Amino acid sequence: MSDALSDDGSDINQDDSQEDTMTPAELIVKLEEAWLNEKFSPELLENKSEVVECVMEQLTHMEANLQRVKKGDAKAGIHRMEIDRIRFVLSSYLRSRLQKIEKFFPHVLEREKSREDGEASLLSPEEFAFAKEYYANTETYLKAVALKRMPPNLQTVDMLKAVPEPCLDSFVFLRVKERQENILVEPETDDQREYVVDLEEGSQHLMRYRTIAPLISSGAVQLI
Amino acid sequence: MDPAEVEFLAEKEPVTVIPNFSLDKVYLIGGDLGPFNPGLPVDVPVWLALNLKQRQRCRIVPPAWMDVEKLEELRDLERREEAFSPVPSPYYMELTKLLLNYASDNIPKADEIRTLVKDIWDTRIAKLRLSADSFISQMEAHAKLDNLTLMEINTVRVFLLDSLNCMYKLRSNLQPDICNCDFFFFISY
Repeated sequence: MSDALSDDGSDINQDDSQEDTMTPAELIVKLEEAWLNEKFSPELLENKSEVVECVMEQLTHMEANLQRVKKGDAKAGIHRMEIDRIRFVLSSYLRSRLQKIEKFFPHVLEREKSREDGEASLLSPEEFAFAKEYYANTETYLKAVALKRMPPNLQTVDMLKAVPEPCLDSFVFLRVKERQENILVEPETDDQREYVVDLEEGSQHLMRYRTIAPLISSGAVQLI
Repeated sequence: MDPAEVEFLAEKEPVTVIPNFSLDKVYLIGGDLGPFNPGLPVDVPVWLALNLKQRQRCRIVPPAWMDVEKLEELRDLERREEAFSPVPSPYYMELTKLLLNYASDNIPKADEIRTLVKDIWDTRIAKLRLSADSFISQMEAHAKLDNLTLMEINTVRVFLLDSLNCMYKLRSNLQPDICNCDFFFFISY
């Protein structure tokens, strides 16, 4: 048994270095960062399907190995606990994306439509299918329960107007990973003036999401 | 974020344990652990330490900062200073709670530590409330929050962010074209 599990470490490292130079440990860190960012950002962020797929691969690989192990083995128990923890982060991440898709579906699809070739998609193929289906189902439902009983001139509903957009002006908490200079802070009221701040590495801030949104995708700041 | 999720993150912090069993190196996805030898201290994440402890397979060595004298100093500093002083661990509250709940027999003066950490926490939360209050009343657009821990941020997060959003909407409704965020979700199921 210990062979089956001891081999893991080296196996995984090889697998990984072929497609990416990340170690499995770094991969898990990436997943956790993506999870927290997604949890706290008001809008749907870029999909990280690469990370998700790699993590899934690691999990299935490890689970396959555990299948071969006798019951009651001390190491297997530890591995199972770790798998459960990673699986929790992974599903929580995917769940928070689905919740946002449900909340903002017309806008998400609109953004997907206006996306230019070569530009990275916000949605993974599965999420795209989910969003489209959700849109169709909502529309059918609204028609069936209400719209078809309305006067003819009121029978259409513009989903883009009916569903609120993500509020990019919300405040977020963030931690700075790479020093940033001259971040413009817009004033709250007309009698205040705008000013710039420098974000020092390791410092934590509370400010509007809109100001720092580009820094999240570049990985310079982490939402907390 | 659920407080349990913050605790989940805290459980990744390393802690030293003294195992009473032997086991080869364990190659976890998140990094290698061990080898475990009876009586030899080894660093493991808190989630594993607590599991081993509950099965009586190890003794937990409390982190260096979990010490009555050091915590008393921190408490006095925290009470003296107006700003937030640096904390010994970004998860000091969660770790204290976890370790004291499951391994209080391994930690000398557990009750005193519990009280001290609670005192530090209360002082900090009081400061946090004060600064949140002045943040809102002065209508600031940016705040620096160094030395605040995730759990502390989390206790004010929902209420503070929601109130800020609400106030923003009320204010921007005076100048209608600024915000498209609607007050209500019109199609609610």
